[in-house]
Amino acid sequence: MKARRGSGGSRASAGSSGRFSLRAVALALLLACAAPAAFAQATLLDSARSAVRSGEYSVALGALRAVPRGDSAWYAAQRLMARTLLLTGKYDDAERVARAATAQPGGAGVLTTLGEVLRDRGRLAEAESAWVRASREAPDSLVALTHIGELYAGRGDQDGARRIFDHFIDVYNTRHDALTSEELAAVAVACHYLGRDNPQLFKDALKAYDEAIAKDEDNLDARIALGELFTEKYNGPDAQTTLEAVLEINPSHPRALVAAAARADADNAGGTDSLVAHALAVNPEYLPARLALARQLLDLERFDDAQREADRALRTDPASRKALAVLASIAFVRGDTPEYATLRARNAALNPRDGAFLAEVSEAVSRVRRYAEAAELARQAITADPKYWLAYSRLGMNLLRRGDIAAGKRMLDSAFAGDPFDARVKNTLDLLDTFANYDTTATAHATVMIEKDESALLSVYVGTLVDSAFATFAKRYAYVPPERLRIEVYRSHADFSVRTVGVVGLAASGVSFGTTLAFDSPAAADIGAFNWGSTVWHEVAHTFTLGLTGNRVPRWFSEGLSVYEEHKARAGWGASPSFGWLDAFRLGKLVPASRLNDGFMRPAYPQQVPYSYLQAAMVCELIAAEWGEPALVQMLREYADGKNTEQVFASVLKSSLRQFDQRFDAHVRQHFGVALAALADSLPADVQRLSPDALVALSRSKPGNLRVQLAAGVLLARAGRTGDAVSALERARALFPEFSDADGPLPLLAQLYESMGRIPDAIAVRRAQVLGGEADLDGQLQLVRLALLAHDTATVIETLDRTMYVNPMALDRHQMLAAFAAARGDWAIAVRERRALVAMTPVDLAGAWYDLAWAEYKSGARASAKRSVLRALEEAPNFRSAQELLLTLVEAAP
Amino acid sequence: MRFVRVLAIIAACGTAPAATGAQTRVLVVSGLGGDAAYSRQFAELAGRLAGAAHDRFGVPDSLIQWFGEDATRSDAHYRGQSTRVNVEAALAQMASRALPGDRMVLVLIGHGAGSDSDTRLSIPGPDLTVADFRRLLEPFGTRPVAVLALMSASGDAVATLSAPNRVVITATRTSYERNEVRFPSLFVKALAEDGADIDKDGRVSLLEAYRYAARETKRSYDDTQRLQTEHAQLDDNGDGRASETPTGRDEGALARRFYLDGAGRAAQTTGDATLAKLYDEQRSLEDQVEALRLSKATVSDAQYYAELERVLVALARTSREIRQREGIK
Repeated sequence: MKARRGSGGSRASAGSSGRFSLRAVALALLLACAAPAAFAQATLLDSARSAVRSGEYSVALGALRAVPRGDSAWYAAQRLMARTLLLTGKYDDAERVARAATAQPGGAGVLTTLGEVLRDRGRLAEAESAWVRASREAPDSLVALTHIGELYAGRGDQDGARRIFDHFIDVYNTRHDALTSEELAAVAVACHYLGRDNPQLFKDALKAYDEAIAKDEDNLDARIALGELFTEKYNGPDAQTTLEAVLEINPSHPRALVAAAARADADNAGGTDSLVAHALAVNPEYLPARLALARQLLDLERFDDAQREADRALRTDPASRKALAVLASIAFVRGDTPEYATLRARNAALNPRDGAFLAEVSEAVSRVRRYAEAAELARQAITADPKYWLAYSRLGMNLLRRGDIAAGKRMLDSAFAGDPFDARVKNTLDLLDTFANYDTTATAHATVMIEKDESALLSVYVGTLVDSAFATFAKRYAYVPPERLRIEVYRSHADFSVRTVGVVGLAASGVSFGTTLAFDSPAAADIGAFNWGSTVWHEVAHTFTLGLTGNRVPRWFSEGLSVYEEHKARAGWGASPSFGWLDAFRLGKLVPASRLNDGFMRPAYPQQVPYSYLQAAMVCELIAAEWGEPALVQMLREYADGKNTEQVFASVLKSSLRQFDQRFDAHVRQHFGVALAALADSLPADVQRLSPDALVALSRSKPGNLRVQLAAGVLLARAGRTGDAVSALERARALFPEFSDADGPLPLLAQLYESMGRIPDAIAVRRAQVLGGEADLDGQLQLVRLALLAHDTATVIETLDRTMYVNPMALDRHQMLAAFAAARGDWAIAVRERRALVAMTPVDLAGAWYDLAWAEYKSGARASAKRSVLRALEEAPNFRSAQELLLTLVEAAP
Repeated sequence: MRFVRVLAIIAACGTAPAATGAQTRVLVVSGLGGDAAYSRQFAELAGRLAGAAHDRFGVPDSLIQWFGEDATRSDAHYRGQSTRVNVEAALAQMASRALPGDRMVLVLIGHGAGSDSDTRLSIPGPDLTVADFRRLLEPFGTRPVAVLALMSASGDAVATLSAPNRVVITATRTSYERNEVRFPSLFVKALAEDGADIDKDGRVSLLEAYRYAARETKRSYDDTQRLQTEHAQLDDNGDGRASETPTGRDEGALARRFYLDGAGRAAQTTGDATLAKLYDEQRSLEDQVEALRLSKATVSDAQYYAELERVLVALARTSREIRQREGIK
């Protein structure tokens, strides 16, 4: 995947507020006073509830412990205490408190909570027993019943679960007004479950949650469950609003934090790791958080770490099917087949018809880009539980990624029939309905699908580019994909995003699923946002690195090789060193080379993703330079054998990860030594107020300070001191020659050279600018203009050609390039550009066809020339020049 | 324009329009700019169009009248302010002098406003609405008339101005498209410069000018990645319903034959019997090309292009013979 410039994750701040707590002080005062009256106990309980609500758990526990046994509020206090202890991971204490309360004659009200504690430790039989008793005796019997229903469902006894949950419909219809908030939430849970048979009940679940919240806005569990439901249906905005409201009230609610992390993950937003970390800080044994962390580590391909986290989760709850599923995912991804089989059998003992288990493994396998296996696992999930609609969705999406559009659509249709509220399914089906608006063409190695409005123009470039990339990589990697490539080009970025992840908002411009690839078309983004040509090259490179390794290449290496290939394909393509990147290196804000997956998957700041692309490419370039390019290919082969990065580095590079990190660090310091030193010094605060003479003096006195040279260059140019400005900017350029950003020295230096009549110097600087900015259309056009002034035809042609891969939608540039190429006798480019002009259906279409025919004739393609001239005359039968060419072609024919 | 010279020579050799003596009258009405930039823009467009009518299409100066925002201008065809009184008088005078077969071209340039039959051009003093123009054009009867409403918010004018033997072109689709329009300058460019002669016959019909301007308008929005806020349209079959993409067969058939310099392509006549026969052959081959084009969807590609090649080669050879016989290089 190629990230958009400036893309990347962001970290959400969900830490504790650190606010001064009036409630804590008030409670302390209450506890300090002798408070014998019932009023005081009720106040204590209310205050404790309030403290729990806001996440001040220790304060709450202190208040609850102060409620004396025998007080009317004591049972309620014990129930709340057990729940609070459970929330914070003090399971033994929670069990002890709950058992003590339930042992009392009036303790039935704590039975449900006792069951919850036991369930979270995997003691399901004991939990069931507590809930069964609660369902007969406890005021919260409906809550206990939902737990029993969930327990049945978790065992695969869907009929038993359905019988229990069906009861809730009657409860709702007959006792609606009398139901408490907690009971309404229980009804919602039941409706949510019953949605698998009747998806309209998902709407009833939503309604019941809304009613539960309306009845008691402090029912955070109901709010969180509602947020989880929204996330499950990929309704990110509503999920976010709901969960942010909860975290505003209680920023330390573990379930809310994990739910918010899941929402962020579903929306491809950043911040998931800090949310999960916070949840674990509150409750180190909170199983969903521990598993979320394990999944994150699995995404990072840090299998040992992921295993450790999932093992810990399973120790907390040995009956957790989710923990088993995560462990099974790890085993599957690592290729540990026996372990996977063991875990699967262990899960089957808990639930022989568990679609969720297989769907979880399918998702994990899909996230490491092994889509065929993911599809197969999803298929198995459907077999296990034919009403587990998410599995149909997973299967459909993975089939689409494999390029099997018809089968994928069939699965998504099934998923939609079973659950029409899954936004990813709905979006994707809507997108598939638009495929009729696309043209499909065939190249030597690919089938290319482009929206009809722009297919004629883009086809002129895409096919050649893809086939050229294919030939290059097939040779370099000694590998040929087993099937033709399927290339999809989307004019709408939203469509591309839906094709890739099912929802809008993806910050990337291309994706390779293997032999199925999708891109933004140049029209999908603002001009200058990306270079679509290098994006195509990048993604096709993924096809080879994924294919050669059986999709086992780690993300960082695949991305690094793709950028490496961009750099090799054409000078100026691919990420280039920027001021920000180098400064991040200087400040130690780049991840070590051996941990580059973190930079892609868990960026610590928004720019870390684009910085990681460049860094990964530089790692590949270093390896190619010092170990030879075949080492890169050998590394891929070893990844294909199932080795991890540490093993691959040891085997191929004869280097530990630590040694390599040191080598890479030294390499960057050596290559950018001058620039790094030039970045170290700051800019004087008063530089803006300095006189031109003082600026000149400052600039001369600090020749090694990049910031000073840049500022002096800009300010002196503004003051009309062109010569002095040029001197400062030349020094800046010498300090960091690769610095080609828009706010770097090159654009201004070129302007100044031009104003001084130093056209060759201006050309040289603009050329450097263009080579440092693959999507810098403005810089490219400036270079063309200067080259025209200098009658530098070669530069005009080379640069105009370069512009087409940023934005080919400009008639005048095609005309100019065609004319210059023809004048130089470069008929291949002339023909291509004349084809582009025809594709743009200019008003003078006959003229465009004639010009194409002429270029084809000159290039020796007489058959094509004849067809084109016929097209010209078809438009304008009396077009004299075209008639003459036709006669030439016909009369000279053998 | 590559073939203007060729046609001029043909005309000099004795060819003549079918409706001999038929003339084209051009009335250009440019409205108030509202600010200096628009005033300058409207005047420039109007002057350019009036100049092109004379310089490129040979319309006599006496048959071109331009009324605009200013009381006086030194431009050759400027006749005074575009007040209601002046415009009404000019149209009445033109109608009274028009002979059967004469053509009338009314061009409205400026800011449009209103809707339906109240669609109006902002001019000095009371505005003129399209209902007014409908009334003012009635005296032209069945003579060919073209109304070029090159103004914003002009889309509703079609229903009011549509009539048999009349081309109506508006710069917008509805009265709601009120932003500044790019279509007018591109339409004028099509008539005033080379580039719009799509069929390469050396002349630019109203349909060709329309297609050029409509396509270039779309391209100008596409190139800058902006939403297109104007959609020109054309009606010439008198049904009051315009098309943005006239085919030239039903919608566009009249505009296809409507040239500022007279009737459609002349049926060349000559005293040279061989040349006359060649012209007949040429016309016959052109008809065959057109028939083939119409049948394109019904035959295979290979069959179509084989037949097209046969006819086009014959046409090219005939055209070459004509040129050789006429001594044209």
